[in-house]
Amino acid sequence: MTQFVLALVLGILFALGTYLVLRSDVVRVVWGVSIISQAANVYLVTMGGLSGSVPIVAHGGGHGHVTDPLVQALVLTAIVIGFGTTAFALVLTYRTYEAHGTIDLTEVSENT
Amino acid sequence: MSLSHVVIAPMLVALVTAIVTLLTRSRPTLQGGLSLLGVVGYAVAVAVLVGDVLSETVLTYQLSNWAAPFGITLVADALSAFMLVLAAVVSLAALAFSVIYVNSYGQRVSYHPLFHFMLVGVTGSFLTGDIFNLFVWFEVMLMPSYVFVVFYSGKAHTSAALKYTVLNLIGSAVMLVAIGGLYSTTGTLNMADMTRRLLAAEEYGIDPAPVLGLAALLFAVFALKAGIVPFQFWVPEAYSAAPAPITAVLAGVTKKVGVYAIIRLYFTVFAAATLPEGLGLPGLSGTSFLAFFGPVMFLMALGSIFLGGFGAVSRPDLDGVFAYSSIGQVGFIVLPLAVGATVPAVRSLAIVAALVYSLNHAIAKSLLFLVSGTVDDAVGAITFDDIGGLTGEMPVLSAGFFVGSLALIGIPPLTGFFGKLLVFQVASDATIAGGNGATLALAAALAGAILTIAYLSRAWKEGFWGETTGAVEGATATPGLVAVVVGLATLLVVVGVGFDPVYQVANAAADAALARTDYVRAVGLEVSS
Repeated sequence: MTQFVLALVLGILFALGTYLVLRSDVVRVVWGVSIISQAANVYLVTMGGLSGSVPIVAHGGGHGHVTDPLVQALVLTAIVIGFGTTAFALVLTYRTYEAHGTIDLTEVSENT
Repeated sequence: MSLSHVVIAPMLVALVTAIVTLLTRSRPTLQGGLSLLGVVGYAVAVAVLVGDVLSETVLTYQLSNWAAPFGITLVADALSAFMLVLAAVVSLAALAFSVIYVNSYGQRVSYHPLFHFMLVGVTGSFLTGDIFNLFVWFEVMLMPSYVFVVFYSGKAHTSAALKYTVLNLIGSAVMLVAIGGLYSTTGTLNMADMTRRLLAAEEYGIDPAPVLGLAALLFAVFALKAGIVPFQFWVPEAYSAAPAPITAVLAGVTKKVGVYAIIRLYFTVFAAATLPEGLGLPGLSGTSFLAFFGPVMFLMALGSIFLGGFGAVSRPDLDGVFAYSSIGQVGFIVLPLAVGATVPAVRSLAIVAALVYSLNHAIAKSLLFLVSGTVDDAVGAITFDDIGGLTGEMPVLSAGFFVGSLALIGIPPLTGFFGKLLVFQVASDATIAGGNGATLALAAALAGAILTIAYLSRAWKEGFWGETTGAVEGATATPGLVAVVVGLATLLVVVGVGFDPVYQVANAAADAALARTDYVRAVGLEVSS
């Protein structure tokens, strides 16, 4: 069940991201890119398998079957990188607005 | 298994330089000096590493001493060494050029730290033995390149940077998806471990079919980095927008990171896998993964050669010609790889050809972009409408352009001759071995070579010969910039004349790329069989 729901959510996220990336408004494009990269992160988490408990070893050492913690470490790295790139993309959007006086990509392409 | 600290030396030198130049922003002269010193140190570190690699074969470094496959492994073999030399040569020339070319304000703000951070990313990509780590180094390399594309922040630059950034961010997301899928299907991220598991897929319970699909997805990302058709559309605008020395690095080095990743992952790692029931795709036979990637690369190489060639013939300015030429030349690098993937008999020679061609393209294309930068610096224009008769005003620079063009075309005794020779040899050997489509590869290479002659002689005729235009009249090229161009031109001649050692190293690199079990053992893993 969880798998089905997650697959559906991932599909919707990727579709939404793709839709936004194809808009002509730069801000929406940046939104779309960050949604796609977040969708990739969620996808990455699911790749470690969804069974088992939280991968934290309790005091005293007792733990049962845990989920794969590696993918979570990977996602953490990817989130940090995504944070940096999104910040840069937003600044770039502002700079584009300053240079062109518009954030409509069709107009940006026309007056370069 | 030989553990060596030398492996991380180039990376550390670049990282330290990046931080030091960031801290000395208030002292521009000191900053520039340290930056130059850093890139020289980088070249020395690479030289030491290459010396060690060539005498001891494969060197590895396990980060924090965590044994593979649990920790992150860095691997330096002859293939990585070859690419590192290429990076060191181009960045040395580009930085020496930058110190004179980029205005003092630009240098002080961000130029030097960004340059060295980009170098850190490139070096990491060449050395890493872990697929997720490769993603991280790609990001480290891309982040400064985004800033460099928007460096002058005019209208054209912001527009180009926006497209370049968004495209690469989507590429990164796709790469992440492919890597996640590969982890899920093979159960590892370590390249050596993945090779080992794919060699005995049944034993480890791996279904090779999804691995092929995910490898194909990953291939698209590398093709995007390398600017191969149909992922080439970002190239011309980004190359025109970035400062000339950075364009030299983008075309000479970061493109080659894509090429390196293709050789490393598809010829070393994924080539280990086979599909026992065949590919099951229309028109494709064979059980090896390379039987699928061969034809795919072949079509992409053909597209690149022709789109790049025809595009370059019709561009109105120097940068445009060189940018489209880059697309075409990467086609020439991928073409032998495609033939080698399809015909196992010539595989080793194919990798040698791709590497030698990469080396020549790295030096010659950086030289040409630096020529374009020097012309822009002296004349203030690089469109063929505004420039003409440069030979009269700047004879030495024109000679540099001439040598670079001849190297790209492939005239002996320049390095380019051997690159072209090897590409043709791969195609003709494959034809003799009865490879499918090898004759077509030969014809395409020939047509591409003719196109190269066409667009470069057009650039020569329009820009360097003919009547001296008003803008060019009385303009003088900055001697320091010309000196860097002359240095690269001399290198093209020297490497061409003394080609044998280069060939030996390229040969060792090709052997290293195909010596799968040695690679796995060097990382400290056992190969079952």
